[in-house]
Amino acid sequence: MNNKPGMSDIQDALTPKEPESAPESRTELLSRREFVTLMIGAGASMVLAATLAEPLNTFAKDILQNRTTHADEGDARHHWGMVIDLSKCIGCDYCVFACQATNDTADEMRWNIRISDETPLGDTFFVTRPCLHCKHAPCVQVCPVGATYSRADGLVVMDYAKCIGCRYCQTACPYGARQFNWRERTDVNTHTPDFGTPEVPRRPRGVVEKCTFCIHRIDAGLANGLMPGVDPEATPACVNICPVTARHFGNLNDPTSSVAKIISAQPTLRLREDLGTDPSVYYIPPKGII
Amino acid sequence: MTANTPAMTPHESHDAHVPAYPFKPLGFRGSGVWVRFWFLVLFAMLCVGAVSGLYVLQNGLSVTNLTDELPWGLWITVDLSSIALGAGAFSLSAAVYLMGLKQYEAIARAAVLVGLLGYTSAMLALFIDIGRPDRFYHPVLYWNVHSVLWEITMCVLLYSTVLVTELVPIIIESTKLNNVAFLRKLAHTLHSFMPYVAFLGVCLSLLHQSSLGATYGILTARPIWYSPSAPVLFILSAATAGASLTMLATLVSGRLLNRQMVPSKVMNGVARFIGYACLAYLYLKMWSWLATNYYSHVPEQQLGAEILAENTPYNFTFWFGEVLFGAFVPMILLLWPRTRANRNILILASVMIIAGLVINRWNMTLSGFVIPMDWSPGVKEVLSVNRYQPALVEWGVSIGIVGYSWTAFTLGVRYLNIYPDWRPRRKGDEAEV
Repeated sequence: MNNKPGMSDIQDALTPKEPESAPESRTELLSRREFVTLMIGAGASMVLAATLAEPLNTFAKDILQNRTTHADEGDARHHWGMVIDLSKCIGCDYCVFACQATNDTADEMRWNIRISDETPLGDTFFVTRPCLHCKHAPCVQVCPVGATYSRADGLVVMDYAKCIGCRYCQTACPYGARQFNWRERTDVNTHTPDFGTPEVPRRPRGVVEKCTFCIHRIDAGLANGLMPGVDPEATPACVNICPVTARHFGNLNDPTSSVAKIISAQPTLRLREDLGTDPSVYYIPPKGII
Repeated sequence: MTANTPAMTPHESHDAHVPAYPFKPLGFRGSGVWVRFWFLVLFAMLCVGAVSGLYVLQNGLSVTNLTDELPWGLWITVDLSSIALGAGAFSLSAAVYLMGLKQYEAIARAAVLVGLLGYTSAMLALFIDIGRPDRFYHPVLYWNVHSVLWEITMCVLLYSTVLVTELVPIIIESTKLNNVAFLRKLAHTLHSFMPYVAFLGVCLSLLHQSSLGATYGILTARPIWYSPSAPVLFILSAATAGASLTMLATLVSGRLLNRQMVPSKVMNGVARFIGYACLAYLYLKMWSWLATNYYSHVPEQQLGAEILAENTPYNFTFWFGEVLFGAFVPMILLLWPRTRANRNILILASVMIIAGLVINRWNMTLSGFVIPMDWSPGVKEVLSVNRYQPALVEWGVSIGIVGYSWTAFTLGVRYLNIYPDWRPRRKGDEAEV
């Protein structure tokens, strides 16, 4: 503008303006009256806060509980859990492929993964990881719309119709157990029919998904009088297919279930227990680790 | 164009609540070639943004370089930066309406405009960034009060409403709408509610500006993020950079239009406030660094810092971008009276602070994702360090969002009475105290 000022600018510059009025300024921050009022107000607020603290706290806890736990879904007598025996696992990847066939997941968004490591003595062992269905799941706590929530039976569930795809749950999950649908699925599932057939529809583009412990089998099985972990029709696909029975599934609340018996009989560990997530998946360590 | 009208004089337009129209908008007639060039640039930016945005909406987020391991990137940086840079509205409104520092109303209106543009820019960025833009309203319908992101969403929505409430009287006053008796009365009523609106705005800002830091600060599984200082650092840097952007926009538009937009005394006060805010920010930032990196030893934290140092320019950008040139040098420039008196130096300092803030938000977002999660033996061998370069289309959308806010601000300066206390520029204005 400097090189070619506009007409209005020239006229503005030529027009005499009223002098700037002196800004109102205050010499002191607070007068005595204001100070006293402030103190009385602060005191009254504290009394009010102390009176209301307890009822408000109870109220808030109720809300929190209802938003993140759907008590009406699942049966509180059950707590579904899994035991994975790393001393038996041979790394065949059958559980990975059976999951992909049953839940129709693409290769780059597997719900159940397998990795390898070595013991200090140099023996190779394998770790497989489904969703751990944590009791205090970070993904459930951070979801802004409650699209992922805990059921009374311990399952951490996705509501694909609510999810807005913000991916905060992926950011919060300590185990990398969540996958986002970056694109509309058009690929062919190469693991079907060898490892099973899809039992759930594909998820739409733009939502997050994760391992469900084959929730469709659990719910349908219970409705038909079957027991998940005992009857194969009601048990997750990854557990059924394991050729060396390294995976066990069942009700952790029932001391007679296979999983409860294994856990009480020998030392098991859970992933990142230090984070306090309280996972429902227990691992029997490989030989040479403990 | 006719000569000055009485309605344009300072204070009458906003203090006396007389019908202020005809406020004489600057318009674009008689503008120099630079303004035409500027609009060409803005138009190009908006076109790039529109094309990129539609491309993303059509094809989904697979066209970005984001992955399951690194799901947030440039757009989240844009979102966080926009909200932080809009924070001048809450600090300056608080000064005017809560602390009774009336003279700052000369710049508070511009701060409100900048604030609203920052928040709408952030919402635009988020709209493109979420996987299901068609469900953008879900946080309003389905509450998870335990989620810090839900709290942020609600605060951002409510605070944008506050900013609109603050802007509506200015729009009515500056346009022909002021000739409608009902609207004039509405503007007057809204104006009389301003202290309460400003109080609400301050509360909401204190909540969500810091919660944005908590978005990262609460994640126990990511040691480089997990920190109680993150929320406070976020609000301090936002208050600093938000006021800086308002100051920069005011100085630059004054320079281009040959005006002194706000009295020197006001500008000087804002600059000094930013200087002290820099000091507070630096103090906490340094303590945060010392406590986690020097005086204590957390193995995971240590490992994360090493991974960042080896694989990214994190250390360089942290010390030079965020600390030295993003806060320390501008703090000196703004607290030393001799440098603070020079408006060119004010422009320089605010540019440095704004750049430092954007670098900080980028570093905050990326640092936690670059370090792979360590949840089991063997993971370190399988999961590699996550790398990210924004895709072209991500840059395109970001350019469009910046173009939107610049366009809207230009139009605001031209058509709205956001600088009620302006006067023509005089010789020696640059060095006036």
